[in-house]
Amino acid sequence: MSRFNVINSRARRIDTPDKATGRAVFIDDMSLPGMLYGALVQSPVAHARIVGIDASAAAKLPGVKDIVTAKEAGMIKYGVSPARYDETLFCHDKVRYVGDEIAAVAAVDREIAQEAVSLIKVEYEELPAVFTVEEAMAAGAPQLHDEYPGNVCAEVHQEFGDVEKAFAECDLIRTTTFKNKRQDAAFIEPMGCIAAYDLSGRLTLYSSTQVPHYVQRTVAMVLGLDVGRVRVVKPYVGGGFGIKAAANSGEMAASLLSKRTGRPVKLTYSREQVFMFGRARHGFAHTMTTGVKKDGTLMALKHECYLDGGAYSSFGIATVYYAGSLLGGPYRLPNMKYDGFRVYNNKPACGAQRGHGGVAARAAWEQQLDMIAEELSIDPVDLRLKNMMQAGDTTCNDLNMSSLGMEECIEAVKDGSGWTSKKGKLPKGKGIGMACGFFVSGAGYPIYRSDTYHGTVVIKLTEDGGTALVYTASAEIGQGSDTTFAMIAAEALGVPLSSVRLASGDTDMGVDLGAYSSRQTLMTGHAVKEAAEDVKAQVLDVMADELDVPADKMDIKDGKIVFTAGDVDISALRTRYIKEHRGWIDNIEEGPLTFKEASRIAYLARGSIVGTGKYKPPELGGKFKGAAVGTSPAYGCSAQVVEVEVDMETGHIKIEKMTDAHDCGLAINKTSVEGQMHGSLSMGLGEALYEEVKFDEKGRVINSDLAEYKIPTSLDMPNVDTIIVESDEPNGPFGAKEVGEGAIMPTIPAILNAVYDATGVRIFELPLTPERVYMALKKAKKKNA
Amino acid sequence: MLLPKFDFHEPASVEEACQVMAEFKEKAKPLAGGTDLMVNMKKKIVSPEQIVSLGRIDTLKDLSRENGTLKIGACFTVADLAVSETVQKLVSALGSGGRALGSPLVRNLATIGGNIGSARPAADLPPSLMAYGARLSIESSRGSRELDIEKFFKGPGMTALAPDEVITAIHVDIPGPGAGAGYINIGVRRAQDCNIVNVASFLALDEKDGAVKTARIVMGSVGPTPMRAPTAEKVLVGSRPDASLFAEAAAAAEQDCSPILDFRGSAEYRRAMVGVLTRRTLEIALKEAQRG
Ligand SMILES: Cc1cc2nc3c(=O)[nH]c(=O)nc-3n(C[C@H](O)[C@H](O)[C@H](O)COP(=O)(O)OP(=O)(O)OC[C@H]3O[C@@H](n4cnc5c(N)ncnc54)[C@H](O)[C@@H]3O)c2cc1C
Repeated sequence: MSRFNVINSRARRIDTPDKATGRAVFIDDMSLPGMLYGALVQSPVAHARIVGIDASAAAKLPGVKDIVTAKEAGMIKYGVSPARYDETLFCHDKVRYVGDEIAAVAAVDREIAQEAVSLIKVEYEELPAVFTVEEAMAAGAPQLHDEYPGNVCAEVHQEFGDVEKAFAECDLIRTTTFKNKRQDAAFIEPMGCIAAYDLSGRLTLYSSTQVPHYVQRTVAMVLGLDVGRVRVVKPYVGGGFGIKAAANSGEMAASLLSKRTGRPVKLTYSREQVFMFGRARHGFAHTMTTGVKKDGTLMALKHECYLDGGAYSSFGIATVYYAGSLLGGPYRLPNMKYDGFRVYNNKPACGAQRGHGGVAARAAWEQQLDMIAEELSIDPVDLRLKNMMQAGDTTCNDLNMSSLGMEECIEAVKDGSGWTSKKGKLPKGKGIGMACGFFVSGAGYPIYRSDTYHGTVVIKLTEDGGTALVYTASAEIGQGSDTTFAMIAAEALGVPLSSVRLASGDTDMGVDLGAYSSRQTLMTGHAVKEAAEDVKAQVLDVMADELDVPADKMDIKDGKIVFTAGDVDISALRTRYIKEHRGWIDNIEEGPLTFKEASRIAYLARGSIVGTGKYKPPELGGKFKGAAVGTSPAYGCSAQVVEVEVDMETGHIKIEKMTDAHDCGLAINKTSVEGQMHGSLSMGLGEALYEEVKFDEKGRVINSDLAEYKIPTSLDMPNVDTIIVESDEPNGPFGAKEVGEGAIMPTIPAILNAVYDATGVRIFELPLTPERVYMALKKAKKKNA
Repeated sequence: MLLPKFDFHEPASVEEACQVMAEFKEKAKPLAGGTDLMVNMKKKIVSPEQIVSLGRIDTLKDLSRENGTLKIGACFTVADLAVSETVQKLVSALGSGGRALGSPLVRNLATIGGNIGSARPAADLPPSLMAYGARLSIESSRGSRELDIEKFFKGPGMTALAPDEVITAIHVDIPGPGAGAGYINIGVRRAQDCNIVNVASFLALDEKDGAVKTARIVMGSVGPTPMRAPTAEKVLVGSRPDASLFAEAAAAAEQDCSPILDFRGSAEYRRAMVGVLTRRTLEIALKEAQRG
């Protein structure tokens, strides 16, 4: 039996009925009276000077209501991190990638808007372009941004401990390189928004976003509006995975067009535009040198990484830091040196995607650890167990593992997969592999430097009594956060889930930094819990007055008032309640005092009962440059075992089984936790085996649809055995922490290690397409012949 | 992506369809499931002014057996093809092709006639149809004709159809005892994927000595149309089938194809896979031929 009434269960999601019946409203379902349709003019060339823009033909097209370029939009620079604001809404001097925004139009319907786009003539003077890290860093390479010479967007140089000294004491030192490919998150709903600027000069922006708060700030800043005059409302969202974790050009263009025309403007991205916009996982090239003792003790890691950044910074500064810092754990690693470079080029910007910055690094390193284990004749499981950190440990880069069920996770997947009976015993072509990983439960600091709370929550009890209204600006994007927070509110207040109604995703409801860095369960969860405890205390306070019982001798449980110091006569209160409800047939005549009655009485005594909650992490991390990136109040961790079958003739990899254990602290909703595990695994599987955004020689995406950009289908996804490991996280609400991103960390390396086990061949480049595997097998055969 | 504008016709009979086609010729396109045509129209690869839907013509949706021949209506859906017991029993390689095509949603709309009409070099149904030696019934207001499917494909998206013609049925001779066929396709993932290579093989064995009497190997995705592997077939005919003969045929097939390199795969990989799939489909065909 759980010690909880609501949380730690498999409660049904509160949005299930709407989503299952198609009633849930997404941007595409919405329209407003008098609405115009916006469309973007985007560069067809990768690098060029803009010589002139002639919109006269478009302006004459009947139905076109407005056309805006940099002249109308202004030159205010924006971006994700204030340290690298390197974008303007529209290009004015030059374009830097195929898709760079030059202008936008608003027209009475979508066809006319698109026709107008095709009528806008932009004259370009093409410039030489660079498409790879190597090209961009070559001497004399064309420069993208005057402010960032050498096309280096950001570089990081960190050393913890003394790596060279540690290497001198090592028995085995191995170096490997590793490469992944640019990703697309392939969420089901492309970005889209409706901007509605009203007659009193206020903007309401409905948008498919993960971060209403950051969108509000950026749109206000770029349009020169007071933040208080901008309200961002998020309807239901069909996934984001990081790409929707910052304002996009469509949101700003629609807002500008609406402000100028005085009419609502809807602007949605096509799938091709999603690919052109980019901002998903970077391409990483890692070189790692790891030193160990004969017994497998990890001594030092020297790590160099180059990021294929694209035309703008987006999340890139954080990404290049994360790529280094997230190797600090979950193993005890006393010495670590990291040199990271994020490099501009004339492709769409890369940004953050599930497992921000850490996924390719984790894949590279966990594969290397397996190679080391093999050389030392140590079972990969044992090597990891030997070096595993324990709860309370702090990494060499100052990340504190306040809870860490890593060992339990490893044991769980080892037992769950039958590791011991399979490892090293499978026939050629079949293989088993494992890996571990960890991730933040929310970034320790906001994206812009500020002392802001990361989440505020308001709970108001309805005046009739009995219902708690939870208002949070957090973002439900499909992951189930609304349900999680309704459950936390119900638990903390002591009422059933059905007594809670929740509204979210609206900047009018408070501050919430949004759905990124796996932060909401822990951070928003804290604020929800605090707000619920606040209203509960207020209700009990009134009860204490009315009944003359000390508040600390009362509690609310499952919708009933509980008296802990013996029976209390509640008949007077009940009579009062019933008197107000003459004619009602469902009045409670007997039994314990209900929350409904108590909260009604509380209202009668004090007016509306409103409670507030807030959360901000304590100061975290070290003092070195970039110490903030990677800090978090808590870390989730996981281990996975993957079993594969490789067709040795065609190179096809079939993932036969995945066993995943994740420590999410206390699971608020077990089904949602498993959902995140399943989703992470399928995303990791896709990245490992199929996914790559491909470009032609002119920098155009050639697979900008979901037929040619290949994510796993249901036939590619094997059975997944999900095991929830629950450590008690002292910094989490009810002990809860993340699962949204950490679960993807071990997937790719576990697959890599399993493929090696099956084939005897190591592959250091993703994705493991049949052709890449075939070529690797062929090369190995030749070498051995 | 928005569809270009067009007029829509819904004839109720083949005659009526042929009349509309005769009236508009190059400006018209037949529409079956639309899973190929609509995509190409959205991408503005084709912009027919007149769309002639075949969806109302029930006679095009039949599957029937006449003497030793299976007659499949042009609008028989791939979903039905994938589950039909008749197809599985009599022409299993075509069933394999049906099951390999797209996803359940696509298969529900996609038709066999549309798959042939699309003339995609990587399409899933032509290789087995060619391996079985299928024939097409083609009609127009000028009359009807029958055409060996091998003569139908002229290049990517190009066919032997005149602008006013429609395919009405596909005829497949049911393989007798001692004959069998196999089909395998590979892409990157296991479903909903443009094939990198797809191969169908047909074998008919001599009743007396079990030697190969007839062999047809058809390779998809490695040329402008699905193509036969003549050298490989020659290797097989007259010899008794075994592993080494199949290996020899597979090696010959690799030389018979002319793959190109594109972003989906290199020529080297495609060529090697032609070999693997030739051998594997021959093994399936042999098993079927020998099952008695
Ligand atoms: C997501 C997706 C996945 C796909 N996967 C596959 C796959 O795995 N394998 C594969 O082979 N294909 C695949 N396709 C392509 C397509 O689904 C198939 O080729 C299908 O069989 C086409 O049939 P249809 O009835 O939809 O043809 P339509 O789109 O209606 O027509 C295709 C062409 O044939 C012509 N045509 C149709 N019927 C006739 C007729 N009776 N006479 C003359 N001309 C005719 C049309 O004018 C058009 O030019 C896929 C398509 C999509 C959208």
